Amino acid sequence: MSALVSDVGTRTAVAAANLVKVYGKGDTAVRALDGVSVAFQAGRFTAIMGPSGSGKSTLMHCLAGLDDVDGGAVHIGGTEITSLGDKDLTKLRRDRVGFVFQAFNLLPTLTAEANILLGLELAGRKPDRQWFDRIVDVLGLRERLKHKPTELSGGQQQRVACARALVSKPDVVFADEPTGNLDSRSGAEVLDFLRMSVRQLGQTVIMVTHDPVAASYADRVVLLADGHLAGEIDNPTADSVLAALKHLGA
Amino acid sequence: MLRTIIAGLKARTARLVLSSVAIALGVAFVTGTLVLGDAMNESMRDEFAKSARGVDVSVTLDGPGDAKGITPETLAKIRQAPGVAGADPRGYLQVPLISSAGKAKPAMATPLAGTEKLREFDLANGRYPNSANEIAVDVRTAETAKLSVGQKVKLLGQDDQTREYTLVGTYKQGVGEMSMAGGDHLVLTPDAFQALAPENLPYQVVAVAANGFTQQQVADNVRKAIGDSGFRVQTGEQLTAETLKSISSQAAEFTTFLLAFAVIALVVAAMVIYNTFTILVAQRTRELALMRCVGASRKQVFRGVLAEAVVMGFAASVLGLLGGLGVSALLQKVIASFGDASETVVRLPISLTTVLAAFGVGVVVTVLSAVLPARKATRVPPVAALRSQPDSGEEVSRTSKLRVLFATLLGVVGAGTIVLGMKAESEEPAMFISGAGTMVLLAAVLVLGPLLVGPVNRFLGAVPRAIFGVPAKLASANAGRNPKRTAATTAALMIGVTIVAMVTVVANSAKETAGEQVDQRLPADYTVTSSVYDRPLPRDLATRLAAVPEVAKVAPTSRVIAERLFFTAVSPDALGDLFRPKVESGSLSDLKDGTVALKADYAKKAGLSVGSTTTVKTDQGSESLKVVAIVSGQRLGDGVLTLNTAAKLNPEFDGYETIMVKLKPGVANGRAAVEKVTDPSPLALIDSAAETKAQLNKQLDQVLAFVWALIGLAVVIALFGIANTLTLSVLERTRESALLRALGLTRGQLRLMLVVESVLMALMGAAIGLVLGVGFGWVLTTALSTEAVQLAFIVPFGQIGAMLAAAVVAAVVAAAMPARRAAKTSVVAGMAEA
Repeated sequence: MSALVSDVGTRTAVAAANLVKVYGKGDTAVRALDGVSVAFQAGRFTAIMGPSGSGKSTLMHCLAGLDDVDGGAVHIGGTEITSLGDKDLTKLRRDRVGFVFQAFNLLPTLTAEANILLGLELAGRKPDRQWFDRIVDVLGLRERLKHKPTELSGGQQQRVACARALVSKPDVVFADEPTGNLDSRSGAEVLDFLRMSVRQLGQTVIMVTHDPVAASYADRVVLLADGHLAGEIDNPTADSVLAALKHLGA
Repeated sequence: MLRTIIAGLKARTARLVLSSVAIALGVAFVTGTLVLGDAMNESMRDEFAKSARGVDVSVTLDGPGDAKGITPETLAKIRQAPGVAGADPRGYLQVPLISSAGKAKPAMATPLAGTEKLREFDLANGRYPNSANEIAVDVRTAETAKLSVGQKVKLLGQDDQTREYTLVGTYKQGVGEMSMAGGDHLVLTPDAFQALAPENLPYQVVAVAANGFTQQQVADNVRKAIGDSGFRVQTGEQLTAETLKSISSQAAEFTTFLLAFAVIALVVAAMVIYNTFTILVAQRTRELALMRCVGASRKQVFRGVLAEAVVMGFAASVLGLLGGLGVSALLQKVIASFGDASETVVRLPISLTTVLAAFGVGVVVTVLSAVLPARKATRVPPVAALRSQPDSGEEVSRTSKLRVLFATLLGVVGAGTIVLGMKAESEEPAMFISGAGTMVLLAAVLVLGPLLVGPVNRFLGAVPRAIFGVPAKLASANAGRNPKRTAATTAALMIGVTIVAMVTVVANSAKETAGEQVDQRLPADYTVTSSVYDRPLPRDLATRLAAVPEVAKVAPTSRVIAERLFFTAVSPDALGDLFRPKVESGSLSDLKDGTVALKADYAKKAGLSVGSTTTVKTDQGSESLKVVAIVSGQRLGDGVLTLNTAAKLNPEFDGYETIMVKLKPGVANGRAAVEKVTDPSPLALIDSAAETKAQLNKQLDQVLAFVWALIGLAVVIALFGIANTLTLSVLERTRESALLRALGLTRGQLRLMLVVESVLMALMGAAIGLVLGVGFGWVLTTALSTEAVQLAFIVPFGQIGAMLAAAVVAAVVAAAMPARRAAKTSVVAGMAEA
């Protein structure tokens, strides 16, 4: 762990260079990403923010290899992923990327424990039991492992999703509006955990959000507007983020 | 509202096409079977009607008279009656036709009517005979006996003299009462017919009325001319009505058989349609709820669903009806290919019943299938329905007690009925009652279905889980997540497989039993029989056969037909060797002249036992016989007696019925040696056990093939149901699939997951169906077994394995489309899906 922590801020976990993504063709074409270049350091918690339609979700999808790009390149931990085929991309996702989505994070047919271990099983990897126990305890899911998702509250479901994202020790965790469907208390719990996983466990987290309070948990905020990079805030607070957003909107 | 409905129909084209195909297939199957039944009926009617066509007046013998037929004097009187334009006798005679190989085969000869209108045949080729040395034969006979116009045809007269005729034409015969046997058929001039059998008298005289006379007038005149007693005079109309009435009962049997399949088709189709709609409405619940939220009343929503279902059910039924005609035409071709009919006319009669059944299935089942789930959906508060849908697992476990109770009730009723059926004495009620019982048990399993899905799925899923890992684990979880849906999907297949397996088991058991019987019946290597029923084999044939060096032993048998009794006669030295019935009591070594061994069931009925005496009376004699043994077994008639006793009772039967031949051990070319003796005799036919078995098996296989063809349709519909469910499930789970893909499931694994799910569903249906089918097969074979015939219980593992393999292959095919579709969806697009 100490080795990881000493890495903080020096190594690049994910990088995008001149990223272009176009939806539609001809007159109706929309440049969702119009030459975005941005780097995310390992062991840091970064929030991507911007008004609706700014391209923040598209950026995340392209960074995570969920969507293909029309120009530019994405590197995850030194691997150029934009040239990878579907099979290699899938492999890369299950080995090196963790996901927390806004909703519908879990498979209804599996128990919480099976959901947490799903990615590892798909990769055919044995879970590190100590690591698993530690995450489960930190997230307070011990009592809930045998439950099906329908028997869990929204906050518990998101915590299970967090546990799944972390259990495989990925290079990077992408979180897409992870608190969007939660009440403020459950949301705060999830955000606390994400921050803790960065600070104490050395995880790298990239989160898309439109909520300034959620963004204030991050070490750094990347602002996006109309498919362009529109600024950065280090050590943000809710107020500083809100101010920046107001500035963008104006 | 209308605009919303039309918009809805447009927006869900893919799903609507799926459910329409389900409806159309179901309707097609039901119409197909009904039209087939009607077509069979119609063709039978037409054929039968030929015997009554052109007839204005018919005269037959009536009442208990001594008359053996209508005399020439009566015929002359009929001809002279006022208003009779022409009258012809109708008679028939069994006469052996000698084939080019010199072998006799039984044929039916009839005299050619002089009046053209009264001929019950249609000329196919050449012309009808004009003179006594000319002959015409049925087209089928011409084909099988390889005869063509201009050739010589030989008949074996009653004096065993061969007569030669020139073939001048062929004709197509109708199916008259006298020609139903379907054997060979030929026509001679009345003179030639008379010469062949001088004592044979016609059984009927038919006449045509002269111009200006009604049928009734002529009938009255004929009645006056010949007197009323001893004759039955009918008008042509009456004759036609009577003929049609007599065949209705025969046709009804086949219609019932087909109707049973139609009912199966109905149930299977209804299940597939219902299931498809349940899923569709479940998926639309949110849409319906949204409509309620924006102000649609419950009634409006409900009416919308109803209207949509009616439109769809109606449109699909029309397609299905047309498809059903195709199915029926196809089946008629299939049936025709079993028989040797050279040309078949495909008939497609559409009766009101058929149309009603088609639309009943198509529209009513569709509407019910759409409305019931829609009612359920509109009952929940709109906001609750807007939330995501829970799977049916909870509901199933909530209602499990009720289910178990109902299933137990059905199970008890079914089992009781089966026990009742098994106790029934005679075969037919035993089969029908037990059969009904098995169907009730099947219903019990259907009710229990959703509860069975869990355990069966866990059991069947174990193997794929071990082989394919995570995708199979997910597939198994998916197959089990919605027990009601899975149960309904697999039920259709289950019904089909149950019935196929049952029929296959029974048919194979029957085959095996028949084989055993043949072995028992024909302990000899060859049995020589007469090709013509009432012509015995000459006695010297046995002597000559015994003289063949390769032959170890011959044993001739004869028969005695007493009043309502039938005895087999053998020579005492054949007993226990070539002829070995099972001895229940007494001893066969005591069977000497003047004694009899009685068959167990007859002895029981008549209250006779070893030591008692019974009198056997025939036309020609009467003997008091001492009972020396009680036996059981095949082909014994009501008992066994010696050849000498038979000769006393039956002096006119000059010869043997069969001659059993046993070869010396290790003889090669035994058949050739036997043939050398039998070939010159036109009557002698060689029967070997192996050939008899092959012939029996062929008949059973034909029946089996027909049943497989019919049920095959049901299975196709059922598999379509699986594809349908899977497609809808894939649509429903778009987000789930996307999540899995995001988490690292490859496209191939996603496809594999769906294929495994499909295979699991198919196997669930097939496995339960096979277990039930084999069990029911056992029930039926046991019920059909009597004391005399113990039906063997044979499970055709090869065929069952083939069925399972076919189910797996079909399931893979069924999964192909939905799997492709699921794998093609991009992760991001899938995640965005509401």
